[in-house]
Amino acid sequence: MEWYNQILKQIITIQYQLNSYISTTIRSLNDNNLYETSFIVLTIAFLYGLIHAAGPGHGKALVALYFTSNKADYKKAFKMGYMISIIHAISALIFTFGIFYILKTMFRKNFNEMSILTMQISAFMIICIGLYLIYSAYKEKNSKERKLQNQNKSEYIVAFSAGIVPCPGVMTIVLFCIVLEQYILAVLAAITMSIGMGLTISIAGILSILVNKKTGDFLDSQSYLLEILGGILIIVLGIFLFNSAGYK
Amino acid sequence: MKILISLIILLNALQSHPHTFIEVYPNIKIKNNFITNIKFIWKLDEMTSSMMIMEFDGNANGKIDSSEQEHIYKNYFISLSDYNFYTEITIDGKIQKFPKPEKFTSFIENNRLCYSFEINGKFDKNKTYFDFGDTDFFIAMILKKSFVKINDVTPIVSDLDNDFYFGYRLEFK
Repeated sequence: MEWYNQILKQIITIQYQLNSYISTTIRSLNDNNLYETSFIVLTIAFLYGLIHAAGPGHGKALVALYFTSNKADYKKAFKMGYMISIIHAISALIFTFGIFYILKTMFRKNFNEMSILTMQISAFMIICIGLYLIYSAYKEKNSKERKLQNQNKSEYIVAFSAGIVPCPGVMTIVLFCIVLEQYILAVLAAITMSIGMGLTISIAGILSILVNKKTGDFLDSQSYLLEILGGILIIVLGIFLFNSAGYK
Repeated sequence: MKILISLIILLNALQSHPHTFIEVYPNIKIKNNFITNIKFIWKLDEMTSSMMIMEFDGNANGKIDSSEQEHIYKNYFISLSDYNFYTEITIDGKIQKFPKPEKFTSFIENNRLCYSFEINGKFDKNKTYFDFGDTDFFIAMILKKSFVKINDVTPIVSDLDNDFYFGYRLEFK
């Protein structure tokens, strides 16, 4: 798939350049250029988040599947994208600061171990979402009101499941700032990077809503079948994630 | 539905993405059309380096001392054999086992952690190519033509189409 390979190449190349630029800029930070340089760092962090989330992972598959199998509007896609990215950032900040200050040493090894554990928890929750979607589609296809309430609930579960895995990209920037004793910048960079990631994840959601709308006309009467299929695919995704975590 | 299924296949196959960037600098020696020795220098990106250096440079003297070298080699470097050192050697269409790296050293250069190591062998330059990349896509290997040192032979660096992760191929004219 040449086109996909080219997209990957572009994502890597831009990330590689931004990664290099952001580290050089943070290192150049001093009392004389504090505000200008911090602004530049945060702008790059935003762009880095935007591009970084365009790469594989970050719950885009889960969001895409969720919105393909559930009717929603674009606002919900933004809400979901930003819920994921906020949880992603908080999780990364807690893990990074926690590991850095509690363990001090061997943090890189621990990062990996923590990632595996959180990935497995996340995968388990994703499987539960799939089962829940199938259950609710089957049971409540005739009750629109209850369905709406349950959908809101499952949105939070989807966001939490996708976001709980701390983003190593955010963790790396946060840790780099901590090493250089730029603690406030660490938190701000995590936030701005998450805003960028949230936008990309939201776009994934919007695209799936578009797919849903296009297929919606002729599948409307049988929409619960699509929801069941979506649930099954989410379970498959969860199982895949669980296995991947085990092999890391 | 076709779009949905394509999306699943693509995204399921990829659950990680590069967080570490490694520039690869191969210095290749050729005798009678055979590659006999390659000295690799890997330069890790500055952010990853800062984490690694903090962990590796135990006495914080800004250098990787001999005891620290040994620690890196035993605990970090040699385990990369599980990943074939992110390098796949293909001779005459057959993938070869990556030779055991020799003369490993680690050093810090411009705030970046570097690994240096060599491999020896006898690879026909006309039938051999090297693919650089991480199948897990956690690491992005970066290779440019200007990174390759070789005498009397023209290196060709091309994009590697692996479908689900990105890499570079090095071959020779």
